[in-house]
Amino acid sequence: MNTKTSWEFGTRQVVFGAIGAALYGALSYVTNSLFPLPAAGNVTFRPAVAVLIFFGVAYGPWVGLLAGFIGNTLGDALSGWGFYWNWSLGNGLMGMIPGLVMLAITNYKAQADIIKAVLWGLGGAAVGMLVASLTEMFVGGIDLKTALVGYFTPSFIGNAVVIVILLPILMIAFAAVASSRGR
Amino acid sequence: MLVTWKYRPRNTFIQSLDPRTRLIFLGCVIFALTIPEIWDYRIIIPLFIISLTLLVMSRIEWKDIKRPLLFIFILVFFIVGLNGMLSGRGGPSSVLDPNSPVIFTVPLKIPGTDWGWSVPVTISKLWFSITQIFRMLTMALLAIPIPYTMDPNIYGTAFKRMGASDKVSFTMDLALRFLPTFVRDFNITLDAQRARGYEIEKLKGGIAEKIRRLAPFIIPVVMQSTVTGEEVIDAMDLRAFGTGPRTWLKSDLKYAFRDYFIISIGIIIFIGCCALKWGFGIGGFFIPDFFTNYFLG
Repeated sequence: MNTKTSWEFGTRQVVFGAIGAALYGALSYVTNSLFPLPAAGNVTFRPAVAVLIFFGVAYGPWVGLLAGFIGNTLGDALSGWGFYWNWSLGNGLMGMIPGLVMLAITNYKAQADIIKAVLWGLGGAAVGMLVASLTEMFVGGIDLKTALVGYFTPSFIGNAVVIVILLPILMIAFAAVASSRGR
Repeated sequence: MLVTWKYRPRNTFIQSLDPRTRLIFLGCVIFALTIPEIWDYRIIIPLFIISLTLLVMSRIEWKDIKRPLLFIFILVFFIVGLNGMLSGRGGPSSVLDPNSPVIFTVPLKIPGTDWGWSVPVTISKLWFSITQIFRMLTMALLAIPIPYTMDPNIYGTAFKRMGASDKVSFTMDLALRFLPTFVRDFNITLDAQRARGYEIEKLKGGIAEKIRRLAPFIIPVVMQSTVTGEEVIDAMDLRAFGTGPRTWLKSDLKYAFRDYFIISIGIIIFIGCCALKWGFGIGGFFIPDFFTNYFLG
């Protein structure tokens, strides 16, 4: 399934970047409109984040970056939020950073590889949401405390819960699909 | 199989425009509202009227557009509007002005107990909520008609002719084409799981259990998409994507006078909003006197 280098950008990355972006947008739309998950305070749970991290882990950093950036931009534009470049960038980073571990994942069913992917996914969520929250200080004029407590903490906690629960399930399911395809 | 948006050719002014013109105009309005952070109703309401006019001019049949409009209205009024009114979050920090007069309080208590708290709804929060609703509708009403009035075959070409690289253009093209397909696939999977007795809306247990039990809904679509992706890659590789002449470019787009006119309006809107906000300090959040007087007499 892996390419020779993490940073290759060919047909495979174009297609899976587009599929990742479309899945991210579609799943966000469906889960928001049909059965929004309950939230506590500002914490929201977006199951689509696990799909984004999965695409980064499985297909590399370019795919994660494109899926996060384009998926978030499309979703925001179609639902009327507008274009918040810093949150699209944050989502792109959230998908890109787990992509850096792609070459180190050899068996999607192995516990060690799953833990590795989850940890990189959490790192991606931390960096992505931190960048988006801190840039909000310049874009939205908020102070550092609001950026960290009001924006970063709830978005990171919500994403982390989703990643820890859903990413291992996606990876195990993908192992079966990948072996049956022989790629 | 790819599902497309319900695009059909119509003899309208909107569809006579070059697709790039519409994307550039949409971008100009979105950037005008979000980059200089416009929250002034005197700017937002005229832009809302322009968006509404363009939506009406696109002459999309009600049966086609009622579902996305309903979704947007539920999102904007009941989720964003209520959230803005109660929390005041999602906008400038001045919305949370502690000196703003309280109109009423909303008691949020755990049923059967006295535990909870009262959320004050201030004039500032209420006006912010109304402004936020119109601001979001302005952008959404411009974006909604695009999939219904723009030929899906032209997405990639439009991005390419706007200066994006082949690969980025084709990524955007594929993403826009796959989006309705995956929405359909999620709905089919949901129906299939319901037929097996899976009541996804009545998930029991804690939040972790609720997220875990979404897996039967998410996994089939995501895994099928990876298989579809391999087939699309094979098809593109067989056509030597990225190695030679761009056979996927469908037509040669040309700007007409009307395109230059609309693009000019878009640029004027963007530059005007930036100049008003950064040059004259107009466009930030404020509560008009008539609104305050309405509540304070």
